[in-house]
Amino acid sequence: MSTPNAPTGVCPFSGATGPAETDPPAEPVAVPPTSTSPGTFAEAPVADWVTIPDLYNDPFPLYQRMRAESPVHWVPAVNRYMVTSYAACHEIEQDEARFSADENNSLMKRAMGHSMLRKDNPKHQVDRDSYGSTLRPGTIKKHWNQIFASNHAKSLDALIAKGPGADFVWDYAAPYTAENLRLICGFHNATQEDLQRWSQSMIDGTGNYADDPEVWAKSAAASAEVDAAIDEMLPYLAANPDHSLLSGLASLPIPLEAIRANLKMTIGGGLNEPRDVLATTVWALLNHPEQLAAVKSDPKLHAVAFEESVRWVAPIGMYPRETTADVVLEGVHLPKGSRLGVVLGAANRDPRIFEDPESFNIFRPKKPHLGFGGGVHFCAGTWIARAQVAQIAMPALFERIPDLRLDPSSQSIDAGWVFRGLTKMPVTWG
Amino acid sequence: MPTITFAQSSGATTEITVAEGTSLMRAAVTNSVDGIVGECGGQAMCATCHVYVRPEFTDQLLELSDDEDEMLDCTTAERTDSSRLGCQIKMSPALMNIVVDVPADQV
Repeated sequence: MSTPNAPTGVCPFSGATGPAETDPPAEPVAVPPTSTSPGTFAEAPVADWVTIPDLYNDPFPLYQRMRAESPVHWVPAVNRYMVTSYAACHEIEQDEARFSADENNSLMKRAMGHSMLRKDNPKHQVDRDSYGSTLRPGTIKKHWNQIFASNHAKSLDALIAKGPGADFVWDYAAPYTAENLRLICGFHNATQEDLQRWSQSMIDGTGNYADDPEVWAKSAAASAEVDAAIDEMLPYLAANPDHSLLSGLASLPIPLEAIRANLKMTIGGGLNEPRDVLATTVWALLNHPEQLAAVKSDPKLHAVAFEESVRWVAPIGMYPRETTADVVLEGVHLPKGSRLGVVLGAANRDPRIFEDPESFNIFRPKKPHLGFGGGVHFCAGTWIARAQVAQIAMPALFERIPDLRLDPSSQSIDAGWVFRGLTKMPVTWG
Repeated sequence: MPTITFAQSSGATTEITVAEGTSLMRAAVTNSVDGIVGECGGQAMCATCHVYVRPEFTDQLLELSDDEDEMLDCTTAERTDSSRLGCQIKMSPALMNIVVDVPADQV
């Protein structure tokens, strides 16, 4: 090795430069086996008591019961095996040979096209590499952080102008993250409102298990709008390059079909997730004054609170996989072609890994959660989310509105299980 | 075949023999070596397979890429002159008996 390997800079994320002095050291994760013994296995129990409305309203009590019973259940209501233990979810993430991302009859493929998220390697890697350095820490530090700060100042001004009683999600977190995403993608011909509409319409298609024709129509209309916007931007960005994803793609020999699908996946994943983790983290801190006080007195804890929030309520609660052969997963037999739901929202509250897992606690011993997925499909937007939420938004928010609190006159609402976040969060101050 | 020795801060060591071309991260994750997480599956995107390479082996490593360099700025444990990402160390005859120290913190 000839390159000196001395520290050359600091991480663009203040919470990640090193552990806070009060942080306990991370403990190794011991994943207890749930298999009985080699060569023996059980069939998955049927969880016919799980309903979609219950999952949507509050999945966590259902996950507690499921995890205690078996790491894997067949759940008729969602027509999938649901995998709820940390160990089983972790095993799936690390083994794409047995657990394929390229699901048959995928609703996501229908809504957004065949993106990298539904491809296995080597095809997945080709698409992922096409995103270049746009989402990486170096580019965030050099380029995006100042843009996020500028966007954030405008969004916070808008929230303050709206006044006490404003909705934290829709008057602040959504426009802020949508505007960031618009520029990350390179849609200079669209508005942040367009990004919000596209994202929600296509995500609704991705989750259209009820096969509602109206949902499909709206999803297809949004998809066509995105195609038109991409077609318009690619020649412009080829001539006027910037740091955006589309600009990078404009100079690569990538099939238009792949560009379209990957951008649609990014619009879906790049908006709801930072929006929801921002709202969930702040909601949790406002409900835990002692933790909020600690965060305000030690800026490094913004990043710790962010990670704990992603563990506590994973914004993407479930993603699909399909078995490529007969497999035994944590002692449970799964036939070839089984459709699985990898339930990160449950794995991240597995009591065999996390002590008192149902609690939001930024002081818990640090352990790796599965909220960003793992293995080759590890969320490509992880550092972008950390930057715009923990690095930029949270410190500025608490500095400008130090007495921010939940509006006692109007209840917050959280919802969802495939995606979960606050759908209503009235706040007040002053 | 190349052998990797992982040394924990407790003094415990784990020795693993792997096929050439295997990454140090993959060897650790496959064999459940404590303290190596490898969240991103080897894309130099997560900094959770940070290791300190013993000085006698550093000359045999490939040069640091820009991607690895920026990610090493984001390690949880302190970055030092001997910091590398395990996913970027592919086992070869030149690294036949490499020894690395596992940081106390990885996340």
